[in-house]
Amino acid sequence: MAQISDILHAEDITPLQHLQLFARTVMEGFTTGQHASPHKGFSVEFRQHRPYVQGDEIRRLDWKIFGRSDRFYIREYDEETNLRATIVLDASGSMGYTGQGGINKFDYARKLAASLAYLLMSQQDAVGLVTFDTKIRDIVPNRTRITHLHHLLECMVKTEPGQETSLSGVLESLAGRLKRRGLIILISDFFDDANALMRAVGILRRKGHELLVFQLWDRDELEFPFSRWSRFENLEQDEDHLMLDPVVIRQSYLKVLAEFRQTLKTNMLKSEVDVVEMTTDQPHAIALKEYLALRMRR
Amino acid sequence: MTFLNSILLAGAAAFLIPLIIHLLNRRRIAVVRWGAMHLLQEVIKQKKRRVRVEQWLLLLMRILLPIILAMCLARPVLTALRSLPGFGKTSLVVILDDSFSMRAPSSGGSPMDQAKAAIQRMTEELPRGSDVQIVLAGGSPRTLMEQSSIALDLVPKALGDTQALAGPMSANDAFQAAAAALSKATNGAREIVVMSDFQQADWKAFAEGASLPALESVLKQEPKPAITFYRLDNDITENLSIASLELSALVAAEGQPVGARVRVKNHGKRLWQDVALYLEADGTRLRTTRITVPAEGEVTLSLTHAFDKVGDHALGVRLEGDSLTEDNAAQAIVHVRHQINALIIDGHPGNEPLSGAADFIELALSPNMATAADSKDLVITTKVDERRFRDEDLRGKEVVILADVERLQGKRFTDIEKFVKEGGGLLVIAGPDIDQSWYNRDFYRNGQGVYPAAIKGLGSVGPADNPARILMQRFTHPAMTYFNDARGGRLQDAEFRTWITWEMKGDEVKTLFSLDRGAPVFIEKPFGRGRVIAGATSANSEWTNLPLQMVFVPLIQRLVSHLATQGAGEAALLVGQPVRVGLKDGKGDEVFELTDPTGKTTEVKARKENNGVVVESAPTREPGLYEMKAKDSSEAQRFAINLNPAESDLKPLAESEVEKIATRHEGMLVRSFDAYQRLDRSRRHGTEMWQAFLIALLVLLFGEVLLAQRIARA
Repeated sequence: MAQISDILHAEDITPLQHLQLFARTVMEGFTTGQHASPHKGFSVEFRQHRPYVQGDEIRRLDWKIFGRSDRFYIREYDEETNLRATIVLDASGSMGYTGQGGINKFDYARKLAASLAYLLMSQQDAVGLVTFDTKIRDIVPNRTRITHLHHLLECMVKTEPGQETSLSGVLESLAGRLKRRGLIILISDFFDDANALMRAVGILRRKGHELLVFQLWDRDELEFPFSRWSRFENLEQDEDHLMLDPVVIRQSYLKVLAEFRQTLKTNMLKSEVDVVEMTTDQPHAIALKEYLALRMRR
Repeated sequence: MTFLNSILLAGAAAFLIPLIIHLLNRRRIAVVRWGAMHLLQEVIKQKKRRVRVEQWLLLLMRILLPIILAMCLARPVLTALRSLPGFGKTSLVVILDDSFSMRAPSSGGSPMDQAKAAIQRMTEELPRGSDVQIVLAGGSPRTLMEQSSIALDLVPKALGDTQALAGPMSANDAFQAAAAALSKATNGAREIVVMSDFQQADWKAFAEGASLPALESVLKQEPKPAITFYRLDNDITENLSIASLELSALVAAEGQPVGARVRVKNHGKRLWQDVALYLEADGTRLRTTRITVPAEGEVTLSLTHAFDKVGDHALGVRLEGDSLTEDNAAQAIVHVRHQINALIIDGHPGNEPLSGAADFIELALSPNMATAADSKDLVITTKVDERRFRDEDLRGKEVVILADVERLQGKRFTDIEKFVKEGGGLLVIAGPDIDQSWYNRDFYRNGQGVYPAAIKGLGSVGPADNPARILMQRFTHPAMTYFNDARGGRLQDAEFRTWITWEMKGDEVKTLFSLDRGAPVFIEKPFGRGRVIAGATSANSEWTNLPLQMVFVPLIQRLVSHLATQGAGEAALLVGQPVRVGLKDGKGDEVFELTDPTGKTTEVKARKENNGVVVESAPTREPGLYEMKAKDSSEAQRFAINLNPAESDLKPLAESEVEKIATRHEGMLVRSFDAYQRLDRSRRHGTEMWQAFLIALLVLLFGEVLLAQRIARA
């Protein structure tokens, strides 16, 4: 049985903690700015003071302290957020790919999901988790309690990649289940029928959900670096395999791949969904940072 | 397609390298557990078939590259195209020496066997549409096939039975035959290959500079044929042979001893001691003589034997063998008769002994009777005065001798003509009494009469001049061959002061021998079924001292027995000569059977020739005893065929000398089939194909690079 520490190492958490502030500001930005909160009264609880660093918002300076001590301090609060974030983690067979770099895509996805959950939980957001392949496998409901993180991680640990992907079906059924609007963080390789996927995304968007999409790639999938005759066995279907000389089809593959990525991106953009492409050799933190920076720019 | 450098062809095995790489690549397949399968499937859907075709094409190119490179380096010579009509066709004439010396056993097979094998390979290598003729050059050259054959595989078959038993090769005649064969050739490329052991006896003269006019004229032909001298080796240096077997008489009486003179020759450098020599009569061994033959020397023996039965008998000698056995035996036929009856018509009888015109002849023909000795004479003579001659005198006679007869009048003249026409022999000896105008007008009758030639006049030398003598040369007339050896008698001692000269017309008249002044002494002509010999000088001592010489006895005896044995054939013939029988009263439709030494019987048809009928077989091909008989008769006539003794000296011409002959005639000398093949290819240099292969190689290289790039880019 996998341990939680398998997913979330101490060294993974540290950069996350550094990110917290950064993330929080960003989150705040978009949660307060972009979503009309369904709740009234938006409660704020003081946590601590800390010295001003360049880049902090001026308006958050504690002028009282400045008056007393002639120093700039920032007041920090523990916020109660209105955010209900549901992490939807693809546990289909194709996520089980282990590249030549030795990193398993699903492992990476798990870590990414855990990092996000940690980040969100530490901001007192209500985080839920959905794992799926052809259908929904597990659902961990949204909670804000810090102990809830444990449930999330436990669920992730026990999940192993298995069946075919049916993302569109999953999203459609999810749309029925999620009664309250919130943020849906989708972590997948999106190896699914593009049209069905877009239809499902459309349904979610119309219901007012915010979508955050992480598309995971292995470096191998992007560059197709194989040179020897190979038997490509489908991770999702046991019988399905192809025997071919990778060198011969590399260029065509890259072309098809680019089309695939472009189609996904364009379609997602139409639904105002940003696609963050991540490769498994990137550190999670960097990946998150890049995304958050992207969100900030909007 | 053949290759000049075929060893390099092995490099073609390098084609295995790309193939092995390809197979290993396929074998050592990496298994990738892959997620983005739908992308791959999309790609495959688009280009699966094309990719597969291109892959195979690329593999094929890579396999072909080393193969073509190897072929290019191996210098291919195109022979496939030669098989197309009109491409590279050659008219090949092989002059094959089938003389007996080609039979000498040798470690690599006899020269003849080597030649046959080489000819077989030559014909295999020739382009389709080529034609081949083989001139068998031993003895009198003849072609193997009636005309050049384009059925190349039949040529070695036709050659199959040919045995090397013929007489010496006459190079010039052979080239003449080759030229005749080539003159009918239709192909542009022509070639003459001379295959011989280049025996000194046959070729030395040419090495020393004698010209080969037939070859020179062949070389003037257009298109000029390529000449190749193909020298075949034998490794025999020692050889003993019977150089000759001469009989003292062609015809003998029962019980009359016949002398046989045997010459045994040692052609090697080794002394042969105590060699057994057997005398055989009709195949039965009579006695054995031990002889010692010095190195490169010869031994002559005289043996005698008397046959006691009338008929044709074979007298033979045989040597205990060296390794080349065929030339260790020789045979001759002796015709044994009860007696020969000769009528001598004396035109000028003398009163004293030996003063008459015919006295010497009478004495020479029946020496035993004249001396009242016990021995038997073969010829029984009856002498009549010309004036008392009556037709009944001719009864039972085989030969009539006219000695210095002035003329024959009326019935006596027609009786003589009738006698000869019916197969009798006539010997006409001149003398001072003959009436020249009668001889020319009635006896010669412009060629219609029995006398062989018109008399022009008398030839003579003055008393102070040197007398005329007999021109000594190699005699070919069967009655004269005995005198080729000096031991047969010294013809050259005879002196001639006066003789008649003839004006000879027609091919029928043959000269037996001549004087050193050029005038013939004896001439012969067939007349009807008989024969006439005319002598130019007197049979007594008036014009010549010939009758006083010892040699006169065998000379007259041989002439008479020759005339008496019409169609009886000669004592022995050489391989290559036909067996020939004249028929006394044939119609021309008789069928004869010829049994050769192996017992095989062939049919021979009689044919009309001149005024008579002859039966002549095809040229004989092997030595031994032949028998000819009419199909429905039991009476056979026998013939002895011997090998030509000149062929027994196996010494070949030095290679440098053969080279000299070849160079002088723009020919090339080769010693093996491989060398011939190389030469042949260098002559056909124009059809070398490496350039084409190089171009193909470059094209293929470019193709491979382009295809590989295209596949990588796709």
